[in-house]
Formats: sequence, C-alpha cells, structure tokens
Amino acid sequence: MTELTPLQNLWLTETVRLREEHAGPLDDLEANRLARTAGGDLPSRIQRRALWLAERDGLTNALKHWLQGARLALLLMALLACVTGAGMAFSALGDGTRAVNIFWALGTLLGVNLILLLSWAFGLLFAGEHAAALGRLWLWLSEKFARDAKAAQLPPALLVLLQRHKLNRWAIGSLVNGLWLLIMFSALSMLILMMATRQYDFIWESTLLGADFFAALTDALTVIPHALGWSAPSVDMIRVTLDTDYNRVLVRQMWAIWLVGAVLIYGVLPRLLLMLFCRWRWKRGRDRLRLELNLPGYAQLRERLMPTSERLGVNDPEPAQLHRVESSVGELASEGALLVAIELDEQRPWPPALPKNVSNAGILDSRESRHKLLEQLSRFPPARLAIACDPRRSPDRGSLALIAELARSAGETRVWLLQAPPGEALDAERLGDWHVALQQLDLKFADCAPLNWLETGHD
Amino acid sequence: MTDTWKTPLKLAVVGHTNVGKTSLLRTLTRDVGFGEVSHRPSTTRHVEGARLSVDGEPLLDLYDTPGLEDAIALLDFLERLERPGERLDGPARLARFLDGSEARQRFEQEAKVLRQLLASDAGLYVIDAREPVLAKYRDELEVLASCGKPLLPVLNFVSSANHREPDWREALARLGLHALVRFDSVAPPEDGERRLYESLALLLENARPQLERLIADQQAQRLARQQSAARLIAELLIDCAACRRSVVSEAAQEQQAISELRKAVRQREQKCVEALLKLYAFRPQDAASSDLPLLDGRWGDDLFNPETLKQLGVRVGGGIAAGAAAGAGVDLLVGGITLGAAALAGAIAGGALQTARSYGSRLLGKIKGQRELTVDDGVLRLLALRQRQLVLALDQRGHAAMDAVQVATPQDKTWREGKLPEALNKARAHPQWSSLNPQAKLNQAERQEQIEGLVDRVLEL
Repeated sequence: MTELTPLQNLWLTETVRLREEHAGPLDDLEANRLARTAGGDLPSRIQRRALWLAERDGLTNALKHWLQGARLALLLMALLACVTGAGMAFSALGDGTRAVNIFWALGTLLGVNLILLLSWAFGLLFAGEHAAALGRLWLWLSEKFARDAKAAQLPPALLVLLQRHKLNRWAIGSLVNGLWLLIMFSALSMLILMMATRQYDFIWESTLLGADFFAALTDALTVIPHALGWSAPSVDMIRVTLDTDYNRVLVRQMWAIWLVGAVLIYGVLPRLLLMLFCRWRWKRGRDRLRLELNLPGYAQLRERLMPTSERLGVNDPEPAQLHRVESSVGELASEGALLVAIELDEQRPWPPALPKNVSNAGILDSRESRHKLLEQLSRFPPARLAIACDPRRSPDRGSLALIAELARSAGETRVWLLQAPPGEALDAERLGDWHVALQQLDLKFADCAPLNWLETGHD
Repeated sequence: MTDTWKTPLKLAVVGHTNVGKTSLLRTLTRDVGFGEVSHRPSTTRHVEGARLSVDGEPLLDLYDTPGLEDAIALLDFLERLERPGERLDGPARLARFLDGSEARQRFEQEAKVLRQLLASDAGLYVIDAREPVLAKYRDELEVLASCGKPLLPVLNFVSSANHREPDWREALARLGLHALVRFDSVAPPEDGERRLYESLALLLENARPQLERLIADQQAQRLARQQSAARLIAELLIDCAACRRSVVSEAAQEQQAISELRKAVRQREQKCVEALLKLYAFRPQDAASSDLPLLDGRWGDDLFNPETLKQLGVRVGGGIAAGAAAGAGVDLLVGGITLGAAALAGAIAGGALQTARSYGSRLLGKIKGQRELTVDDGVLRLLALRQRQLVLALDQRGHAAMDAVQVATPQDKTWREGKLPEALNKARAHPQWSSLNPQAKLNQAERQEQIEGLVDRVLEL
C-alpha cells in the first residue's frame, strides 16, 4: 500500500469532517483511543483519527479509486488536447490544394487560445473562485470514472479544503494551462510536421486594406520574436508575397518560420510560463496547508482527542459511614433554665428580652467559650436548655457535635432555629438539612423563641 | 527549551463543608459532571483528582477533598497530642495525628484533607464569602497552615449581594494570608482563571513557567471557542436567510406554510443552541430558548433582487462562455471553416440551458401563481442577537452553575431595525445554500466564502 501524501491526509480528514457534519457523528471510540495513545499535537491526532475512520469506512480506497479516475480523466483530456491541437493545425493549413491565408491561419491557431487565456485571467482577477470550465469538466469526469458511491464526498471535501486557502485557482490554473500547453504544443508539432512534408503557399489578401497595414501588423507581431533572435519577413517580402514569379521557395520558408515562431511565442510560451507560475503557487500553498482548528467540527474533537482536563479518579475513597454524633439525655439533677446561641454573626441583636428566671449564656463561637460553658454546665446542669442556631450556617459535624454535647449536660434541650434577618430569606434546602440533622439527634426544634417553655417548663 | 516539569503541579482544594470546592473544580476543569454537588453538607466524602493538560502534557493536578467540619475539636485534639516538655512543629504534629486512631474515627474526613494537602504542592482554601468570619474558620486555617504548604484563599460566591469580602480580607491578613483571589465558581470573572493562576505563580515561583503556559493556552482556547461559536451562528444565519418555500396563493396553504417555516427555523436554532452548548462543554439542558415571536414570513419577490439578477448574469455569462467554448471546439475539429457559427449556436444553447435550470422553475412558479416565502429580516437579526447573547452567557458561565441559561427575546426593539450584513442578502438569492431547503449544496465554495465573511461580523452584529 502506498503511503498517503500530506495533502491526501488533509483531504481525508476534511472528508471525514464533512461526513460527520452532514450525517451525524461516527462511532469513533477506538479511533479516539488510538489517536490519544499515539500522542502528538492536536492536528496530528485529528488526522490520525480521521485516517483510521477513513480506512475503516473504505474512504481511503475510494480516494485511491478517485485518484485513478482523475488520472484517467486527465489522460483522456490530454489525448483530446493532442487531437484538438492537431486538428487546429490541420484546419489552419488545410490540405495544401489552396494557398494558406497567413493571417487566417494565425487566427485559427492562436485566436481561441488567446480569448480563453484572457477569460481565464479575468476570472482569476475578478470573479474569484469560479473554477474554469476545463477544471469542472475534469472533476466531473473523475467522478464518473471513479464509480464509487463513497467517493461522492471526496471532491467537495477537496474543494472546501483548497478553497479555504484559495488554492483551487492555482490547481485549476495548472491544469488548464497545462492542457492548453499540450494543445498548443501538439498544434505546433503538427504544423512543423505538415510544413516539413507538404508544400504550402502563403498569401495574404484583403479587400479593404493595403500592403502597408499587413506590413505594420507583421512588424508589430515580430517585435517580441525579433528580440528573442527570431528572423522575420521584411516589409519587402510581404509586398512580394503576392508576386507569383519571385523566389517562392525563400518566401515560403520565411513565412513558415515566422508562423512557427508566432505560435511558439504567442501560443506555447505564455501557457508554459503560466503553468509554471501556477504550479509554483500551488506547491507553495500546498506545503502551507494546515487543518483549520477553529472549525466547529475540529473544535469539538479537542476535548476527546487532547482533553484539557481529565478525571484522575478517586484516590482516597469515602468511608462506609461517617462518624456519627451520638446524643443521650443527661442523667443529672438539674435546675434552672439557660439560653445559649451558637455562631451568630455580630449583625444580629442578641440576646432577646428574657424572663427573670432564664439566664443568658451568650454566644458560643470560639473554642475557649465552648470549654468555659461546658465546664460550667457540667457543674450546674440546667433543667431546660435552649440552643439558638442560625440556619443560614451549614449544619456541619462540628456544630452538631457541640449541640449534642450541650444537650447531654442539660435536663431537657430544645433547638431554636432563628428566623432570617429582615430583608433576607432562609434557604429552604439548608433549613431542611438542619431539620434532618436535628431529627437524627432526637432533639426538638422550632423556629420561634421557646421563651415560654424556658420560663415555665411547658408551652 | 526551558527545563520542563516532569510531574504536574499538585493542588489540593480544601475548605469548610458546603463552600463550593467541587464547584470550583468543575469550573476550573470545565467538566460539568465532575464529582457531586448538592446543598447538603459533606456531599463529597472522598478525595478525587482532575488533571489539566496543555498539548497533551499534564500541567496541573487538582484534588477535590471532603469539607472540614470539626476543625475546632481537631485543633483542640492536635494541641493535646503534644507530650509535656516536647515542642512539635505543625507537620510533625500532624504526622502523629495521622498515625493515631482518631484519624480513622472521629476525624477521618479531616485526616483525608490533611493527607492530601501534605502530598500536594499548595492548597486552594475555598471560602463562602457570604459567611461571617467565625472562630471555626480561623481554627481551620490554623490546622491547614500546620501542613507547611502555601495556601491561596479563594473567595467564592462574591457575586452574591450580601458577601462579606472586607471582613474576610481583614481576617485573612491577620492570619498572614495576604494573597487572595475572588473567583465565583458559578459566574467566574472573565480573567478569573488567569488571576488565580497568576496568584499561584506568586506563591510557587518554580511552577511559574507551567502556570503561564496554562494561562496562555486557556486564553487561546477561549478565542478559538469564540471563533467556532461565531461560525456556528454564521451557518445558522445563512441557512435561515437562504431558506425558501414556494406556496400556492391561498390563505389556508399560506398559513400552513408559515407555520412550517417557523417550525423549521425554530428547529434549526435549537440545533445551533445545542452545538454551542457542546462547544462550551455544557449539557444540552443547560440552556432553554424561548419560542420565536410570531413571524409573518417575508413574501419577497427575490426574483428581482439585485443579487439574483447578478447571479443570473453570471449564470448566463458562464453558460454562454461554456457553450462558446464547446462550439469553438466543434469548429476546430471540423476544420475551422464555420468558425463563429457553431460557437454562437453553442453559446446561445449554453446560456439558455443554464438560465432555464436556475431561474426558469421559479419564473414558472410565479406565472402559475405561486408565492415565495422566506424568513423575515427581523427574525434573522433576532436569531443573531439571541445566539450572540447565548455565547456571551456561556463564555461567562462557570461549569458549576446549575440553573439553565435563558435565551430570551430581547425586550428592546433594536433587533427589528438596522441593516443586514451583505452576506445574508446574498444568501437570499441562493436557496441551495440552506440546509433547510431540498437539494442543498452546502459545500459550495461561495457559501463557505460568505460564511467566512459573516463570522467576523456575527459577534458585532
């Protein structure tokens, strides 16, 4: 199997992209994995993936068929070009039974070429990207010769790929100019062959114009060949062309050489130069061809082929169960009532107005205040303890452990979940978390002040 | 080449429970499915890693840890680990704690966090900026500081109204933490990640090259995403502008055609929304677009649109040229005597054929009393505006966000006025450019060219 060229790689990649864009994503797990393990930068990974998919779906073979078809089409067109060129020479010179009108012959040999050359140049300059008719013909023919349904996606992909870098004008330009070069070359060869083996008389004729005009025309056409060292018929010779008894052999030769020179220089040479120029631009552009990573189709592949982030998995698994805060009721002889608050922020007014027999233990926040209160409670346990919590805080294990510890040192405990300060609302989900946590601790809770209970022992 | 790091930089994301550590990871990794996020405390109970790479090279490992919940008791316990007459530094004390049995019982979760932080190069300490600075947070920081690793406080939820950033700044400064980053994981600021990594680079000087590489790569990716998004929108607009329905002039049929057109446009827009969500690595349900306002459709006579005529001219010209070339070929082959006659005939035939193919059926339809329905200019502008809004919203959306983006119709009426870009007027004359039309030719070079041109204009439309 022959190695694919970089252009063919890009082409297949683009084909796969178009396919996925129009017909939905392909099953690419294996391709992605292979591309990832092969490494490299993103374009090479995308290409590797595409090539794998193309190989699997037979696109690579289709590409080869298409290339064969393209070569066949090119061959056919080259043959046609040779025939056309030869035909041109035939129709210009005729069968030798009649004298050849020199300017008529020149027009036949160069006229169509010149007109189409101009139209091609205009198309290149103004129309932008409308491929020349010959180029389109070639694409159409290649499709017909390839005879592969899968190849249907190939030509558009190539066009899209080349179009993006404005390369197709140079590719088509090379083709068109190359074919015309062949036509002109074949015409030239046939011309020389015919003139070498037959005898032609050259004449010029006119109803309106005099010999001066033809002399001037010949002179003008001879400027460039002359500069390149080509001999040309002089004014006298043109004048004597119509004289039948002059040295006809010399005149014939002179005209024949002049005709060959004109075809060579005005027909073959421009096409040759243009073809070389187009090929040079094409090769240069082709070497600069890269994947367009900004296309959505490729942008979406980035995460799959070269993830910017990937999960590493769990490296310290979660325990079977979390440490649970245990609660139990204190067995201590207790008396009095106490109100304590946990982790209130300083923006909340505290404490509320309390009945006489209820004492205030302030706000617990730091370690020191916790220790102090717990110590005090273990010495003088209250009969009734109310713990005020702000349910905007999260019910974390630390707070719950503190509540449980406080509850253990009191006769009876209730939790007071404070209302939100004016202008704010409590988060219902977080409040629900508090309810669940407190239910697990078997503690009663309420969202209104249990002052009555603290004072009297019943609601 | 500068000396590259062989191993990626390791960061532990630590903090109190329910402050959004997993959310921060989701946003930094652009991975909506990472871990589990909920309102409950201790949702994350394990340590899980995620890796950020650039060009296939791992640069940064982030570890999500369980929340610290009982720091006050833990600090108390740590202090009691010191035997009389002995003076342990922070890491030594932690080592003793981690060897002991309480590290597997009451303080199991805390032990996980500390082990991970000890194994990392630095920690990101996530703070819920809406919380008051309580004593337990100070104790948490003290426990974490005893790991001897640099800590970078990250203020989460700073875009909420009642955040207490100044309090936190002051408290952190008192604890010796002067560098801090504001980073809301639900609505991260545009340069949020850059600032986070830059602050980290200040703390970890030798990690600077790889952090800078990460910053540069993320910037490049952001731009690339915007470009891709603009392209998706441009394709949507071209598709809708070129969409065309031929309808018989009859009230019932017209109404039906309008509703069908509307449905097609709506579905095409939804396709674009989904593609954009995918591009920005969000889930399909992360955006909900409201229905399009009632569109009347546009009963345009595009037959005499200048672009159509121009196209017609090009077609006829092309046909004539091709025909002439064919005719000339015939001429040459048969001997050149008729030069001109065959070419002329070919030209006329070619031109007529091309014209009939492109224009004739439409002209015929017009004669038969059919009307052509296309998408209104205002709707095109609206589509562009809505998709652009969506892109802006997605660009600034954290991957931790839970609620869906609303793609609504803008209230102000500016979208009803203004000029359409030239590319869309062109598209109106090319029904084959629309994927909504039968016999679409989406790969036509001209269509691609117009899309390229439109891409630059989409984001400023």
